[in-house]
Amino acid sequence: MNAIKLTWEDKAVNAAAVLIALVLLIVAAYPLYYVLINSLNDGADAASGNIYFYPRKFSLENYSMVFKQNYLITGLGMSVARTVVGTAAAVLVTAMAAYALTKENLRFRKLYLAMAIVTMYFSGGLIPLYFVLNELHLLNNFLVYVLPSLFTFFHCLLFMAFFRELPKELYESAYIDGANDLYIFFKLVIPLSMPVVATISLFVGVNHWNDYFVPSFFISRESLQTLPVILIRLLSLSEAQQQIQQYLGNHQSKVTMESLRYATLFVSILPITLLYPFVQRFFVKGMLVGSIKA
Amino acid sequence: MHPRKIKSSRGWDNQLILQLMLLPALLTLLIFSYLPMFGIVIAFKDYNVLDGLFGGAWVGFDHFREMFGDERFHSALRNTLAMSSIKLVVTFLAPVLFALILNELPLARFKKWTQTLTTLPHFLSYVIIATLTMIFLDPKGIVNGLLQSLGLTNGPIEFLAEPGHFWTLGASLDLWQETGWGAIIYLAAITGINTEIYEAAKVDGAGRLRTIWHINLPAIRSTIVVLLILNIGSLIYGGSNFNQSYLLGNVFNRDTSYVLGYYTLDNGLLQMRYAFATAVDLFQSCISLVLLLAANWAAKKINGSNIF
Repeated sequence: MNAIKLTWEDKAVNAAAVLIALVLLIVAAYPLYYVLINSLNDGADAASGNIYFYPRKFSLENYSMVFKQNYLITGLGMSVARTVVGTAAAVLVTAMAAYALTKENLRFRKLYLAMAIVTMYFSGGLIPLYFVLNELHLLNNFLVYVLPSLFTFFHCLLFMAFFRELPKELYESAYIDGANDLYIFFKLVIPLSMPVVATISLFVGVNHWNDYFVPSFFISRESLQTLPVILIRLLSLSEAQQQIQQYLGNHQSKVTMESLRYATLFVSILPITLLYPFVQRFFVKGMLVGSIKA
Repeated sequence: MHPRKIKSSRGWDNQLILQLMLLPALLTLLIFSYLPMFGIVIAFKDYNVLDGLFGGAWVGFDHFREMFGDERFHSALRNTLAMSSIKLVVTFLAPVLFALILNELPLARFKKWTQTLTTLPHFLSYVIIATLTMIFLDPKGIVNGLLQSLGLTNGPIEFLAEPGHFWTLGASLDLWQETGWGAIIYLAAITGINTEIYEAAKVDGAGRLRTIWHINLPAIRSTIVVLLILNIGSLIYGGSNFNQSYLLGNVFNRDTSYVLGYYTLDNGLLQMRYAFATAVDLFQSCISLVLLLAANWAAKKINGSNIF
């Protein structure tokens, strides 16, 4: 604030805004903090409850237990694999399509756009999709994570809005030098479009990381299951108990099913929590451009 | 150089490259969006595995008749519409208020932190949200502990086992998850307001509250209307309904937690009544299409612009 004198109204508004923001801040962030402190607390000790502000008996054993469970490691690996592969492929396919669709001389441009728009309004539904996946032998196949979500029209619109903002001279001088569109796309457009690439990557990546529907209903093979499915199993504690018993055998451990659940939860929350603040500054801008254009 | 000359010298090679760049996206649409649309025919057929998609006898609207006669369908339809409507009413103004409040925060860094942390829940998997819900709303959990120590209730409230709480719970979770995210677009619109307008208002003696009412709110009014209409368009598929129904529904709250998305899944993939489930899906798609088109038409009328 400048040295301008605040009126009583200014002070009242400031105070009210800060107060409300504080409450909302706590409501939004505390559940995640609660998971963190409970995951860092000795399991047996946590069973007596009342851990609200900091770990009472600090321990990393829950985490070491998470990384000793084969099914959790496999799930984590599969989640990472589908997120990395799925996001890279989808961003590439969507960005290329968006680039082509911004070119007025693209043949059938109107037809392609119309086809894409229809998919925003209407879909064949779950069962017909299931049949198609079955026919293509995509059920129980890693590719079912990647292929169906290669293209999303909403993301395409955001890319198109961004590409249109790039200076025209960029293309024209490259054309005169004899460059083709593929070269221009990879060497000129993409390097200049990092804000929108980062934004869409975050959106797509989050969808991949969070999705539980595809592995639950299109995958039955255990080795292809992802972290969210394992978390669903841990949801029902009795099942978690069984899993733990199975893996612990008769070993004495202070890890309880609940503390293991907290640690697993936090492992699955962490990547997004770390990545997202870096991407945030891009997408606030990107959303604004997108909302005006779209 | 003349622009037309450049264009013609590029000619077919470049057209081919552009088409190839579009091809993967086009194939994805054709295979995973358009091919399934043909599968809809089984909604009107007596499907069995041996005859395949295009074999089997036509049964007309039999599946739809059966659907309308099924009590669980009525319950699912009612729950879907009720949950979506409650969420619409409860959640569409919250981001507006939140954006207005964020904009008044005096410290830039505090504002940024608040925005970052309140947006974070939007990016969480529903599995995590469901787990957090179960942990926090457990009869022995932290929320019940707080309510009792404040003397607001006598015994613990069974948030997840009592059907009466489910709709409120669903709307509350949406508020928790999406308010921060929803505020971003409004905040961006407010930030875009010309600073001269504020200065003029100040010269005219307008205080903070009057500035909010007469400058900030009108600046985001059209955005509010467009988003409201879009939300009406998605009443049937309503974002979080299926997630909440599938992950937080249980035998105790089934009367209020069972929604259409779950009904389709139940009949289709779990009981393998493929044709019937396709009919249910088609019914949903048609209603949602009508709602979307109506919403788009209304937005055009009000805003003078098409949304898509």
